[in-house]
Amino acid sequence: MASKQPFTDSDTADEAVRATCDDASTCKRFATSKGYWTDLYAQYFVRQIGERKAPEINRGYYGRVRGMNLLIDAFLKKTQCDCQVVNLGAGLDTTFWRLKDENIMPKKFFEVDFPMIVARKIHHIKTKPPLSKPLIETHSTDSLLLDGHSLDSDRYCIIGADLRDLPALEEKLKKFQINPELPTLFLSECVLVYMTPEKSSKLLNWVADTFPTAMFINYEQVNMNDRFGQIMIENLQRRQCNLAGVDVCQSLDSQKERFLSAGWESVNALDMMTVYSMLPWEDVARIERLEFLDEKELLHQLLQHYCICWAVKDKLSLGLSQIGF
Amino acid sequence: MAEEEQNASAEKLKEKANNYFKDKDYENAIKYYTEALELNPSNAIYYSNRSLAYLRTECYGYALVDATRALELDKNYIKGYYRRATSNMALGKFKAALKDYETVVRVRPNDKDAKMKYQECNKIVKQKAFERAIASDELKRSVVDSLDIENMSNNLYLITIDAIEDDYAGPKLEDGKVTLKFMKDLMAWFKDQKKLHRKCAYQMLVQVKEVLSKLPSLVEITLKETEKITICGDTHGQYYDLLNIFELNGLPSITNPYLFNGDFVDRGSFSLEVILTLFGFKLLYPEHFYLLRGNHETDNMNQMYGFEGEVKAKYTAQMFQLFSEVFQWLPLAQCINNKVLVMHGGLFSEDGVTLEDIRKIDRNRQPPDSGPMCDLLWSDPQPQDGRSVSKRGVSCQFGPDVTERFLEQNKLQYIVRSHEVKAEGYEVTHSGKCITVFSAPNYCDQMGNKGAYIHLRGSDLKPEFHQFTAVPHPNVKPMAYANSLMQLGMM
Repeated sequence: MASKQPFTDSDTADEAVRATCDDASTCKRFATSKGYWTDLYAQYFVRQIGERKAPEINRGYYGRVRGMNLLIDAFLKKTQCDCQVVNLGAGLDTTFWRLKDENIMPKKFFEVDFPMIVARKIHHIKTKPPLSKPLIETHSTDSLLLDGHSLDSDRYCIIGADLRDLPALEEKLKKFQINPELPTLFLSECVLVYMTPEKSSKLLNWVADTFPTAMFINYEQVNMNDRFGQIMIENLQRRQCNLAGVDVCQSLDSQKERFLSAGWESVNALDMMTVYSMLPWEDVARIERLEFLDEKELLHQLLQHYCICWAVKDKLSLGLSQIGF
Repeated sequence: MAEEEQNASAEKLKEKANNYFKDKDYENAIKYYTEALELNPSNAIYYSNRSLAYLRTECYGYALVDATRALELDKNYIKGYYRRATSNMALGKFKAALKDYETVVRVRPNDKDAKMKYQECNKIVKQKAFERAIASDELKRSVVDSLDIENMSNNLYLITIDAIEDDYAGPKLEDGKVTLKFMKDLMAWFKDQKKLHRKCAYQMLVQVKEVLSKLPSLVEITLKETEKITICGDTHGQYYDLLNIFELNGLPSITNPYLFNGDFVDRGSFSLEVILTLFGFKLLYPEHFYLLRGNHETDNMNQMYGFEGEVKAKYTAQMFQLFSEVFQWLPLAQCINNKVLVMHGGLFSEDGVTLEDIRKIDRNRQPPDSGPMCDLLWSDPQPQDGRSVSKRGVSCQFGPDVTERFLEQNKLQYIVRSHEVKAEGYEVTHSGKCITVFSAPNYCDQMGNKGAYIHLRGSDLKPEFHQFTAVPHPNVKPMAYANSLMQLGMM
């Protein structure tokens, strides 16, 4: 069994976490270049299509992106876009631009990540018209509010912050006019697992306390107690990447429990194997024809060790708990 | 006049775009060529320049459209022909590209670059025509026939040096033959991540092809009472785990025979080391070391899952071609004491297949999409009776009743197959009549599975399972794609 080494150098740990941003964005870039799904904006954040990824990886990302988007779109529909979205640990995600194209933008879309990542993203946005145009178009004045680690416009805002420092996070969100009374969707994809359970619990508590009508969608590891989970932990440790929050990833139950004990009213969790099986089957059939997968077990193991968990608080009684697959 | 002004502005935009192009900012170059075209849509140069920018960003379809438009506007614009030819080359339309190069050469007979491009393109077109003409398997000229190993320098295919260099310190065949010393040196050499000299690799491949081609598609062996054999499943380029098998179970020898049940290459990072070691032992102990073909000993799989890439990187494309030919001669099944049948995948999509049918399979080819040869390499057992469509999309899944009927008809006791990763390294199903053995532990550095091998004694033919776990290996990424250690899925 792998021993979970306590972390002595938090800078190294944070740097390793930041590096996972590139894993996600390059994998998505490759998968979209092969046609798994359409993302017109990934190319502006990741220039080269890069080295090939294994078919099971591409299918896994497909499941993740489709699954998350289904829930996100359902929330926007339920609230008729009279809402906010906050993407925690957003990395180089392109959802804002997708929503703009599809005409289902929330009132405001917030992204939060480490200042270094945010600075990179702002640079891309500033220098690539396809990225900046949608922001400028939806902004009421001529200039966007920009500094090294944040960019604010009427409909889109990106903030450099540390999710473990909640007072600072709250202050920055409020500075850029987040409205706690509006229904708000929080997203985190492979983010909480890098924080200790105590820290992530505080974060979930703070969201529940501050936003009375909200949904939180968390995508990350699950079922980590088995051999596959152990190997993943060991492999990641080899690149100084510590899954500090892996204890909460033991099972779907533990993933749900963390929300219930943080003040959320109701919660659902499905492993990605289940989510994958619930995606529109014609499109799944289409992507499975893109590349032949020689060993299905590789995909199954991957899917069984990731989950989507979504929790709800519904003061405005919008029927948010009906959202699902 | 408005038009003059517009054209002047367009020129300015084109200059801006050209500057971006010089700075390799192709996205902005495209943007400004586009704006220039909005002001002056009948300028062939703008289209041609934008075509080049599209080429640089690998948008070959757009590049072709622009090049074609440029020529529609000005059929004497030579650069337009170049652009269109390049776009067509990138899209694999070599004949079309050749036409345009011809045009340029005709108009500019002294242009050396044009001539060279024309000749290159012509070579490709000819090569493709040649390939099409010899496409049928029987007519395909073997790489072996065209190799003249002793005089490699004379060989048309091999461009570089021939004799083994003085500074090659690695293992050499002794009088052109594999010996035990050679094998021991080879395994140590590989363990150190060094490369076997190309000449030795070619010699081994030519010899293995000869040996394998003499075997029937169904190999039949007899184990005497006192004899035993070790059956291993998929190894998938996991060389260090293969060495571990030899550590745990002893090196192959006359008294320690082995059968490796396919899928020696792909997915793992050391496919060449695995296959050359296995081929070496086949040459050393032809009557005591057996190899069966797996679904990964095929062109389609090798192209996607790493082996082709590895061979091309470490040796040449021609070497891969030779591997492909050798793989085609691997037998498809092995029968032990007329009681135990071993194959990589499993049983058949239809009842009534006999051992004689297997013997008769004409195997020197890529497997067809269906039929007994395909089934032997691809099928999987299932728990329920009957047959189902395979999850893999090829061949079928067969139930215990199918196994029962097959064994009865052919007077066999049970089958041993591989093809599927198993957590414990092996699995016994169909009431002991269908055994799976898989010998690549911690498959793809992720699965955490054990590997296993089977001991079979001639005295009772009862399978004895031995499990083992993965050993460390150098951090070398599989040739097909980004290092699986590093990509672990959804981070």
